[in-house]
Order: sequence, then C-alpha cells, then structure tokens
Amino acid sequence: MKKEPFLQREGTKSVLASLLSILFGLAFGAVVILIVGLTSKDLGADSAWEGIRLIFGGLFSTGRGSTGLLTWGFNGQNIGNMLFRATPLIMTGLSVAMAYKTGLFNIGAPGQYLMGTLVSLSVALGIPAGSMPKAVIWLLAFLAALLAGALWGSIPGALKAFLNINEVIACIMTNWIAANFVTWMFGISNFKNIVENTKSSYIYKTTYGLVDGTYVSGAGIATAKLGMDKLFPGSQVNGGILIAILFAVGVYVMMEKTTFGYELKACGSNRHAARYAGIADKRDIVLSMAIAGALSAGGAGLYCLAGNTEFFWSTYQSLPAIGFNGIPVALLAVCNPIGVIFTAIFMSMLSISGLQLTNLTAYNEYITDVIISVIVYLAAFSLVIKMWLGRKKDKVGAVNANAEPAPKAEPPAGAKPEEPAAAVPGDGEKGGDAQ
Amino acid sequence: MSDSQDYVIEMLHITKEFPGIRANDDITLQLRRGEIHALLGENGAGKSTLMSVLFGLYQPEKGEIRKNGKKVTINDPNDATALGIGMVHQHFKLVEVFTVLDNIILGAETTGAMGFLKKAEARKKVEALSEKYGLKVDLDAKVEDITVGMQQRVEILKMLYRDNEILIFDEPTAVLTPQEIDELMATMKEFAREGKSILFISHKLNEIMAVADRVSVLRKGRYIGTVNTAETDKQQLSNMMVGRPVQLEVSKTPAQPKEEILRVEHFCVPSHVHKRNAVNDVTFSVRAGEIVCIAGIDGNGQTELVYGLSGLDKSNGGTITLCGEDITHLSIHNRSKNMSHIPEDRHKHGLVLDFTLEQNMVLQRFKEPNFQRGGFINAGAVRKYAERLIEQYDVRSGQGPITRARSMSGGNQQKAIIAREVDRDKPLIIAVQPTRGLDVGAIEYIHSQLVAERDRGKAILLVSLELDEVMSLSDRILVMYEGELVGELDPKKTNVQELGLYMAGAKREGKEASA
Amino acid sequence: MTFLIQQTLLYAVPLMIVALAGVFAERSGIINLALEGIMIFGAFVGVLFVRIMQGSAWISAAKAANAYGTLQFFEVLAMLMAALFGAIFSLLLSFASINLRADQTIGGTALNLMAPALALFFIRLIANQNTLYIDGDGPSWFMIKKAMFGYGRTESMSWLGETFVNKMYLATYICIVLFVVLSILLYKTRFGLRLRSCGENPQAADSLGINVYHMRYAGTTISGALAGMGGFVYALTTANCTSNGDVAGFGFLALAVMIFGNWKPGNIAGASLLFGLFKCIAAAYSSIDINGDGVYMLKEIGINENVYRMLPYVITLLVLAFTSKSSRAPKAEGIPYDKGQR
Repeated sequence: MKKEPFLQREGTKSVLASLLSILFGLAFGAVVILIVGLTSKDLGADSAWEGIRLIFGGLFSTGRGSTGLLTWGFNGQNIGNMLFRATPLIMTGLSVAMAYKTGLFNIGAPGQYLMGTLVSLSVALGIPAGSMPKAVIWLLAFLAALLAGALWGSIPGALKAFLNINEVIACIMTNWIAANFVTWMFGISNFKNIVENTKSSYIYKTTYGLVDGTYVSGAGIATAKLGMDKLFPGSQVNGGILIAILFAVGVYVMMEKTTFGYELKACGSNRHAARYAGIADKRDIVLSMAIAGALSAGGAGLYCLAGNTEFFWSTYQSLPAIGFNGIPVALLAVCNPIGVIFTAIFMSMLSISGLQLTNLTAYNEYITDVIISVIVYLAAFSLVIKMWLGRKKDKVGAVNANAEPAPKAEPPAGAKPEEPAAAVPGDGEKGGDAQ
Repeated sequence: MSDSQDYVIEMLHITKEFPGIRANDDITLQLRRGEIHALLGENGAGKSTLMSVLFGLYQPEKGEIRKNGKKVTINDPNDATALGIGMVHQHFKLVEVFTVLDNIILGAETTGAMGFLKKAEARKKVEALSEKYGLKVDLDAKVEDITVGMQQRVEILKMLYRDNEILIFDEPTAVLTPQEIDELMATMKEFAREGKSILFISHKLNEIMAVADRVSVLRKGRYIGTVNTAETDKQQLSNMMVGRPVQLEVSKTPAQPKEEILRVEHFCVPSHVHKRNAVNDVTFSVRAGEIVCIAGIDGNGQTELVYGLSGLDKSNGGTITLCGEDITHLSIHNRSKNMSHIPEDRHKHGLVLDFTLEQNMVLQRFKEPNFQRGGFINAGAVRKYAERLIEQYDVRSGQGPITRARSMSGGNQQKAIIAREVDRDKPLIIAVQPTRGLDVGAIEYIHSQLVAERDRGKAILLVSLELDEVMSLSDRILVMYEGELVGELDPKKTNVQELGLYMAGAKREGKEASA
Repeated sequence: MTFLIQQTLLYAVPLMIVALAGVFAERSGIINLALEGIMIFGAFVGVLFVRIMQGSAWISAAKAANAYGTLQFFEVLAMLMAALFGAIFSLLLSFASINLRADQTIGGTALNLMAPALALFFIRLIANQNTLYIDGDGPSWFMIKKAMFGYGRTESMSWLGETFVNKMYLATYICIVLFVVLSILLYKTRFGLRLRSCGENPQAADSLGINVYHMRYAGTTISGALAGMGGFVYALTTANCTSNGDVAGFGFLALAVMIFGNWKPGNIAGASLLFGLFKCIAAAYSSIDINGDGVYMLKEIGINENVYRMLPYVITLLVLAFTSKSSRAPKAEGIPYDKGQR
C-alpha cells in the first residue's frame, strides 16, 4: 500500500482546512473591529489595535495597567475559566459530531441541552439534602440528565427512522418545544431562587440544598474539583472537564473500533445499503439520536451541577448558545471526537477573549460570535477548501492514474430520480462515457 | 468523401478530457441530411460525451463542429436548439410533478405581457404534432403518473415542439418492449423521410442493423470507423465495438436441476406508488443447479418481487420457503443466512460508497465471530479477508482494501459486490441486472461466474431487462407483467418476438389476451 | 373579537410572507434554513434605518404636521431597506450553496449564527445596550389611525373599519398583496415555471437551456428580500419597532408553516393564520375576550401560557408525522447542482 505524503493525507488536509477557517474567521473579526474603529468618531486606530490584539490573545490578557495600557501575561484564572466553559461545549460538540458521522445533522442540541438542564437541576434540587450522600445525588442527577437527553433526542430520531421526516426540521421543532416546556416546568416548580432577592428569575445553584422545606446555601452538591482548582486557582474549573474528555475518548472508541460504531456509520452513509445488509437501520437511527441527545444533555448536567452556575428559567424565547455552538465545535473538528476537545477549548478561548473585549474596550463580546459564524460558514464548504489544498495532488494524480476512471464517470446504475442524493449529485450519465 | 455540403452536422476531430481521462480522442462524426446514423459503442466508449458536446453540455478541448459546412460554436443547449438540434436523453429530462404540457413547453415558452404563459397556443401546436406523428400523450397528466413509453413520446414531442431538424436519440430502446421498439423505429424512419436527420446512439446491434443507414463506431474514446449497414453484419460491428472477436453467446452446458431451494407461493407485495399490489399472487420455484430468469419491462414488479424476497419490502400475502424453512416473516438478517443478493442498484443497496473496500466486503458479516471480538472489530481479520477476495475475484482499485468504494470504477464495484455475495456461499443467489452499465469484458466475466456457481449447485434467480442476457443465460424464463407471472418459457424453444408479446401483456400462459 | 382578529393578522402576516420566502428558495432548489437569521438582519436594518432617519428634518416636519402620507411612505421605505439588506445578506447563502456547492444546512446555520452576532455587535456599539430602540413611539407614527380618515376620537369606524383599518399597519396589507402577486408569479409566468423546474429537476432544466445557477440565485435573493422585509414587519408590528438580535424563533416557525403548507402558497396562507392565532393566544390569552361578555375564557380554563406557545411546534410535528407520506418537498432541494456532472 502506498503511504501518501504527509501534506496530502486526508487528516492533514482537514486540520489545515480547519486552521485556515479559524485564521480567516479571526481575520474577519479583526477587519470588522478595524473598520468600526477607523470609521467611528469615538473610537480610533488605537482602540481598534487594542481590540484586534484582544481577539487574538485575549486569553493572556491581564487587564489594564496603571498607565491605562493593556497588560499581558499568563493568567491561570482565564485558562481555568476557559476549560470550564469548554466542558459543556465538548459534550454538545460530541453530540453534533457523533450524529453527523451517522448521517444526521443534530441541530437539536439546544433542546436536548435544555432538557438536561431541567432534569439535572430538578433531581439535584428535588432530593432533600442529607437523604443520601452528595456524590450519589450528583450521579443520579447526571444520569437522569443523560436519560432525559436520550429520550428527547430519540424523538426526532424516531420521526426520521419511521416516518422519514427530515431530522433538521424535527430538531428545530423539538428545540422550541423544549424551550417552552422547560419554562413551563420551572415556572411551576419550587426551584426558583427566592432566597437571594435579586435572583428571582433564576433557578437555585445546586450548592443550595433542600433542608426542611427551604433552600440553604452550601447544603447542596457541586462537581468535585479533582485538583483542577489547584492547577488554575481562582477559576471556575472543576472535574467536569476530565469527565467530558473521557466521554470524547469513549465516543471515539465507539465510533472507530466497535461493530456498533461500524453499524451506525454504515447506516449514516447509506441507509439503504445498511438495510440491505441486514442492519436494523431504523433502530440505529433512533439510537444515534438518543446517544447524541444524551451527550448534549450530559453537557448541561456537567454545567449545571458545577454548583457555581445559575439558570435563567424563563427561556421560552431563546435557545442556549452552548447547544448551537456544538455545531461549530463539531464542524471545525471535522467531527473527530478527539478533535472536538481541542475545538471546544478554542471556542471557549474565543469567548474569554470576547469578555475581555467587553470589559477592557468599547467593543463587545458579540464579535466573537461573528467570528464563530464565519468559521461555520467556511466549514460549509470545507470540501472546496480541502480540494484547493489538494490541488497539486490532483495534477499528479492525473498522471499516475491508477488505471481507474474518475469516480464520477460512473453512471449511477438505476439512480432513480427520487434518490438523486444517493450516490452522485446529479445523474452523472453524461460522464458515463468518460471511461 | 463527398462534398461537405451534404452534411448537415459535422463533428471534426473532437477531443474532450476529464480529470485523468480522455473521454473523446480525436473523434469525427458526419451526419447526412435525412439519414439515420447510428453511433455504436460499449458503455464507456464516449458516445454520450460526444453527444453532450454536440448538445452544448460540454465544451471540447479540440476540434470543431460544422452545420451545413459552416463552423458553429455551441455553448449551451440554447445554442443547440437554435441550430435545430434536439435530444432524447437516456435518462429522461422530465420534471415529474409538472404536467406533460408544462414539460414540453419548459424552456421554450410563449408568453404574453409580463411573462405570463400562453398555454392555449402551445397546446394547439402540441396537439397538432401529436396527431401528425401518432404520438399519443395526455397533455394534462403529470409525468410521474404516465408510463415510461409515454414519457419517451413526451421527450420526442419536446424536440418537435422546438422545430428541431437534427434529432439525437440516446439509447432510446432500453426501456421499451420489443413492440414499442418497432413503433419507435417506424417513427424514426418517418422523421428521416421528412428530411430530418437522426443520430441513434445504441449498443444493440439488432436495432442498428434494422434502422440505421450508416454506423460510426467508437471504442474507449477513439473513433474506429464508419460503415454502411448494408455492407456489414453484426459480427463485424461487434468486433469493431469491442476490438476483439466477441462470443455473442454464453457457453454453458445444459442445466442439471436438483432439489428445490426456493419456493414462492401466492406471493404479494404492495406498491409504494398505487393502491394495487406491485407483485400479485406470484408462484414459482427455483431448484439447485438452474438459472431462472425473471424477464419483463422495467417497472412490472420485478424490483418489488426481489425486495419482497430479500425482506427490503414487506409482503402482504403468500409464503416464501427457502431451503425448507418458511422465511416469509423473517428479518433481512435472518433471511440472508441462506441467500446471497446482488442488488439492482449497486450505489443504493450494494455498497456504502464512503466506506473502504474492506469495510464493504464485510457489510453483512462484521458481526461474525471471525471479524469481531467482544464488540470490537478485528481489523486484521477484515483486512486479510478483503485481500483474499480482491485477489481471488480480481477486483482492481487504487489502494487495495483501503480504497474508498466511491473512487472505484463501476465494473470493479460490481465485481466487489459479486465477490462478496458469491463468497458468502449461500444456496440461493438472487442477481438483479448484474451487468447493467458494464463493458463487454466485465459482462463476460460476470456471466461466467454465474454459470460456474450454477454448476456448483447453486440456485440462481436472475432478474434482467436485457433480452439478450435473458435468452442466453437462463435455463427457464418467467415473464412478469403488471405484477404477475404471465408465462414460463424455455429459452431454447422461444424467441425474442414471443417473449416480447408476453412482456407487453399481449399474450398470457394458456390464453391469448384480448388486448 | 376585533382584538383577536387584529392580533392574529399581525402575527400571521410576517409568518406568511417569510414562509413564502422559504418557498421561493426551496422551489428553486436551495434549502433556506437561514430565514430566522435573515429576519433578524432585516429587523435590525429596518429599525436602524428608522432610528437614523427619524431625526432628519423631513421626518421631524412630517411628525409635527401629522403628515400621514409621508410617514406611511417612510414605513414603506424602511421595509424596502430591510428587503434590500435581507437580499444582500442572503447572497452569502447563495454564493456558498450555488457557486461553492456547500452544504446548505450548514450554510444556513452559519447565517443564523451570524445575523444575531452582527446585529448585537452593532446594537451594543450604537446603543450601548442589547436592544435598539427608536426615540418616541415608532409604531404609533406608522399605525393607521381613524383620524386619517377624518373620524373623531370617539367616532366608530364601523366593525369592519375598526377591525381592518384602525390601528393596523400598511405593512401588513403590503405583505398580503405581495403574497398574492408573488404566488401568481410562481404559478402563471415563465419565470415561475422555470424556477420550479430547477427545484424539481435541475438537470432537465439545464438540458432545456435554463440557467440553473441564475434561477437559484433569483430564488434565494427573492427569498432573502422577503425574509428581510418580514423581519422588519415583525419588529414593527409585534415588537414595538425595536431590534434585539432575536425574532423569537419566528423564522423557524415560518419554516414549519412552509412545510405544513406543503410548499403551496394557498395552504401556507391558511397555516399562517392558524399559527398566528396560536401566537396571538399565547401572547395575550389573559386579555382576550372572545364574545365580549367580560369573561376572559381562555384565562379561566387555566391552561399554562407555555402550552399555547409550544402548540404550533407540536402541531407541526404531528402534521408532519401524519402527512409525511403525502408531503412533497421539491425533489432537488438541498442538492448542489454541478454543471459538470449531469
């Protein structure tokens, strides 16, 4: 077997394409800042330059010095917070990536995440403190979140599998149903924070525990730190990041090494062929979405059970960004579960930079969302970028053609008009003679 | 060569390249006014590419096109239409949810103020044309509801509506019954008599000999030559087409049928399209050591029959007995314990195109103990197995077992499927159109494999639309018409004409249909 | 009753026009998942335009003089700006999915992420908060009032006038007219026939000399313009002419309406009225007095408002579940067309 040169390997090209997308996205953000800075009366080139530096290096910003200039340095708190933010993102990213590998676009991560939020908080706050060990409550809450997400995710999965309803549409609908459902349930619950009078539109942090019918701060649960607080003092990070990484490795092994993963991928790449081969395609589609849902909801569990987060419960008009951001995380990682760890961390780095931007300059954190959206936009045609990266290879390929005609030259035998997407876009018969 | 004024269209020294491949290499084709000119070549010889160049769908790298001796440039189908060139594509270019009339006028609409369609005028013109040439169509029916034969008439009317003088027919007979083919031939001759010029693309020698005045032959993208049909014969044409003497018949010994393997009784499969059954009350059996062929025109329930047998579709009546076991209600997985299935559509069912060749080789078997341990795939075993199949069945690909199935040629994709299915070594092999779209070499190979398996005692159920294949490969022929088996024929005692009558529903076992 | 009809119309019309935006894109073969994003962008541009222009001498004078005609013209101008920028924004989707043959779902998702991000980034810069307001009471300038027709404060315009004229917006009726005109365009003209053919069988269209790329650009651009305009109309009539980088899932709801209506304008009009009714009930169920007897029936039934809010989505899912066999999306939607591979 020929080993391809490093630069022409599929993996290398994917990484390069992702890096290019990131670079372009950041540059786009910088250009927007620059234009705004230069055209605005109140701002100026100096402020624009500050903004641009923060976009690229916000993680290492330490604020402003006494002279008013930006100061830089290693900031353990920032890095810890970055990892804390990355924790749920890894999970929603895994959710989208795993579903994508099985041929499903899980835009339902926000809804699944909300259901995870509802269930994990309800279990954590619903079980009276002291009735069982805190670790058990934590575990129960987390497992309940996984289960709720799995159930919620399996709804669009089942609609797709049994009724052939596009999962994107079904996911969007279930997202908004979840948003209303969660608002409804929390609205009639006892979990609304009435202890801290400024926080009445929030749900209690899980560090509150139910003691004799009232919520007492400190009686509840929080994710174990597992030493992360020592590593990054002053930050919010906890052991959740390690759990998320474990999940990533688990998903990787499942998808790449097991017969179950093979089955799911076969089903995702070509449902008809999988069925033909005796694979239970309908069950597998439901399972795929259930696992994806569990992962998203697990992200919510890890975030909510951290103990230092609160939840604005009247959420019927908006969906959680962490859910949607699973999409860029997954796409940027080319849906590789291990890659998801890094892209999720990168995304949270961006949001830390965004916060610094808001805190230290006249610009605001939304520019990082712009950057993320540009990256997703580029991901939509990452294939084109990869082709462009591989252009040199194609020229060589034409010469050492393996005596095999171009793939597209094959008429898709019997490609029925209703299945144009099955094999080759278009019906290729004109290329049919290109052998 | 006579004066170029005699030619209505000339394609001179056309070269068209695709990445890594030269589809047309210095091809010259000259079409006389009022002639029927056949373009003969195997699948993949470059016929369709050449026609796409003429129709403005591709731009050639080299060469020129002349109309009436003058050089012309054809950049898109609009230019082609302006020059009077029209084409009936092999895969019809029809919008299924539109009416017949909408399909005919699409792209050549007459409009009034503000772009409003004037359909009444168009309707009159189409009705007149349909009357004149006897091309009966229902203008208000949706294309998805009409028969394939009528769809082809719609395609022909599209050309006539545009007043085309040069008509290209790309493999027009593949979907027709022998009788419909005769009608089409008559229509084509009528067009030629009127002075229209016809390019007839085909790989079927009988039809070319029957209708064409001259034949140009292409092979592997190169121009081989042009001959008058009056001065040639089928053997010469087939030698020109393939480049070596071809055995037109499959060599096989008489069948030695043994015990019954498959028994199908009163079997019914519902249709996805209409309310009637796609397969209705079908009864037959296949024995070890024989090739039984289901013949019929596309869309008469053959696909559904196979789906029903393999479990891809649910049946709604009757029983299937395989190797003595009632499998009527078993899952696909459990049925496949005694059944290999070479599917009709290798891209839809046969392969996961994004998987590697080795992953495709174990598509049904990845859960068997030799290929997995505790749920984890045994990659080494899979690799070894794939390498053995590739070696044994001569499946060629760029990178061996790790080649993406998508990047392989059609012939080798099909070989891979056949390797996989034959190697599973099941008593029954269902092969559906196993040679579709392949070149002669691959066809010969696949035919010989099927005969070899028969001789090893396998029961083979073959579904084919190619009459030649049906006649030469099968030991028994069952004809399917509108979901029912209407006749059983012995290939040695019947002929294509009789087969055609059964296929068209004009004849039935035991009785002459009234139609 | 008057209140119920008015509110339902105000919710239904943006839905209807944005759903039609979806139809134009999908009938040409492009899945426009970005309706939500384009609406957000259109709303932002429209509100920004009003905010910028309101201080101009021209508008100030018109306001002072109660020059209704000028103010209605101003409203139409803002709608046009929203449409223009919606169309421009949608070019991002067209370019990615037509020229670069990108995954349309991902491309649409990118636009959905981009629009609120861009809008909020600028809103924060401009207004130093997360909502872009206009000074004073925008909707009241634009609202049609009975005073325009010479009615006095206490005079009644008759039931029809009170329901369909007084306190309604010209924008609503412009959208309805546009909806009808564009539906005719889609079915009765050469352009419409060709556009639809590209969404069903682009190979066939191409073989007949129809430029699939151009038709698809036309489809998505019309779609972008309508969605942008719809976004502003939504902001004007139901959100007090403010913009906060959000249209509360209205774009997705429009997508649901489109599917619910099986990609057919007539059905879509009906579906939007139904969904508009739900939206209206959810927003104001406690103050709806259906038969005017002073009893707020819906409130007394005691169904949680969130149930009304989620009903449109639940119904869509149910309808999809029951009609999935007969539901017919344009056959070629979502599949990039490659001229080289036919």
